[in-house]
Amino acid sequence: MTTVERADSGVDTPTDDDTAWWTHLGQDDPAGHAAMASLHELLLRASRYQVWRLRDLLPGADAAQVDDLAQQAADDALVAVLRKLPTFEGRSRFTTWAFKFGILHAGVAVRSQAWRHREVPLPDTFPLVDPAPSPAAVSEAAQLSRAVHDAIATQLTPHQRRVVLALLVEDVPIDVLADRLGSSRNALYKALHDARQRLRQALIASGDLDAPSTRRTP
Amino acid sequence: MNDQNPTVSALTVASLLVDTEPYLSCDDCFERMDQYVERRLADRHHDDLEMTTHLAGCGVCAEEADALEALLREDAQ
Repeated sequence: MTTVERADSGVDTPTDDDTAWWTHLGQDDPAGHAAMASLHELLLRASRYQVWRLRDLLPGADAAQVDDLAQQAADDALVAVLRKLPTFEGRSRFTTWAFKFGILHAGVAVRSQAWRHREVPLPDTFPLVDPAPSPAAVSEAAQLSRAVHDAIATQLTPHQRRVVLALLVEDVPIDVLADRLGSSRNALYKALHDARQRLRQALIASGDLDAPSTRRTP
Repeated sequence: MNDQNPTVSALTVASLLVDTEPYLSCDDCFERMDQYVERRLADRHHDDLEMTTHLAGCGVCAEEADALEALLREDAQ
């Protein structure tokens, strides 16, 4: 696709040309309706791709149910894209920009469905590490695990502790946890970031973790 | 938590200690993801420290970036 192509209706349908998308999307005329249909098709492609990519998270769902999920995600993504359209700055191709909304909404839908009937665990203690193969590795891993266990217990706030353990030990997806806690993905990631910084500082201070070498600057 | 096997892997311990500085929020990661993925596809050596740091510390964002890259690769074929 390079620019606009003539659809069967005789209406110019935006294809790969970002300007064409811009020109027609949101217009209440045949070209605008055709652009909207093309955008939905684009988003459905992305949401189907992502839903099938995450198919293993939905072992009980048949093909029709999986496709329904992709359709719903594409509908949600369409609303999001139209809402965000004024913020599109052309830093990537329009199709790439739109695809990411389809992928986001499909992933959220799949994870939400996968955890729909599952209890989200919110532990407040950290278990010890699995034994490693060699005695030296066992000892080293066990020592690090104990240090992490102690730092989690003493250095983190109760909220940070629950977030960290749910996300990284129980493998609860961040959007699922945000939904259950009435929080947001941003807020939970910030709590995780702050907790990791505290853990790292504690372990560096105790000599259980090497201090970072000089980081590159952007 | 699985009470019958109350242990975690060394990988989990490592994930707890990932250095996620410089900080980037999930929203900002999403905002930049399309441009980042396109640039990575054009140049495998392209780097964006804030993006790579965030993706190393956020499994869901990393999965979405991987999916977008895979979709664009498929699209290019």
